[in-house]
Amino acid sequence: MNVLGLAITIGQRIASEEFGIDSDGHVTTHSSILPETAEIIAGGLASLIIFFLLAKFAGPAIKKGMAARTERIQKELDAAAADRQSAATEAAQIRQAKGDIAAERARLLADADAQAAAVLDDGRSRLRQELAELEAKTLADIAAAQSRTGDELRAEIARLSVAAVDHVVSGSLDDATQQQLIENFIARVGASSEGARS
Amino acid sequence: MSDRIEGYARGLFEIARAEGTLDEVEDELFRFARSYESSDALRNALTDEMIPADRRQQIVEDLLGGKATPTTIQLVSLVVGAGRGRDLPAIIDRLVARASTSKQLELAEVRTAVPLTDDQKTRLAAALANATGKNVNVKVVVDPSVLGGVVATIGDTVIDGSVRTRIDQLKSRL
Repeated sequence: MNVLGLAITIGQRIASEEFGIDSDGHVTTHSSILPETAEIIAGGLASLIIFFLLAKFAGPAIKKGMAARTERIQKELDAAAADRQSAATEAAQIRQAKGDIAAERARLLADADAQAAAVLDDGRSRLRQELAELEAKTLADIAAAQSRTGDELRAEIARLSVAAVDHVVSGSLDDATQQQLIENFIARVGASSEGARS
Repeated sequence: MSDRIEGYARGLFEIARAEGTLDEVEDELFRFARSYESSDALRNALTDEMIPADRRQQIVEDLLGGKATPTTIQLVSLVVGAGRGRDLPAIIDRLVARASTSKQLELAEVRTAVPLTDDQKTRLAAALANATGKNVNVKVVVDPSVLGGVVATIGDTVIDGSVRTRIDQLKSRL
């Protein structure tokens, strides 16, 4: 049953109250909803007493509890506000730090770029220098090798020539030649005079 | 050592002169000395103390027998037998120098690839005398390393007309 149905039922009960007079002449009702008058009075008095007692003894405790609760809530609100302020401050600091980090990052990147460029330039310069030195050394080695080869070739030619001279001369020195050489020596020495020889 | 060499040279010289064969002995000894210097085997055999003296003398006699005068053989045997084989060239050189001095001649050592005839020796001596202004006592050494021509040494003067020297000069230029 919903609320509307319950209200309709209660209305119908009130409307259909049956009144009667008892033997003492008192009007009696038989409402199934409203109590008897005395009962209402007694109940009302009891309720007042209870409300009074509650106000008398439980009231301060309730007020104190409510005040404590209010104070606690206020503290929590204050703490929340402080936290919020702190968070805002921290957020500002973080934003500032973020900005600083971005600036630092940009500076570091710029420094890194500059250093990289310098290293690159230095490396290129060194590479060019080493290349030039290597080229010069290679050319010198080639020249030395050519010279050495030339020297070795000349030495070999000389050696072969000397061997050939020995062979040819030894083979051509027959008795007649030997005698001719001796006669030429005697004639040449005989033709020279004292002091002409070294 | 020098006195001993000089003593042996003087003794050998006097013996050769007394024998009347000085020129011949001098010439033979000179050629033997040059052979001795150029032959390791001969030098080792005549200076080896482990070989008895009479065996070394026998080697000398076998070597020179029929090729040299008895005086030359005896003189060499004398030196070798006395254990002075090592000093033999020096002794002989001193003997030849002494002989040249006695004849008022300057020693001329002549090296050739082939032997010289007597006529060539005479003409060579005259040519050297003309060139140096001194009368010379020519001693010929046959040295195949000369290849051809003549190398004459008179004191400190060297007259080199050898093929070997010309080839060496050519080698240097090459």
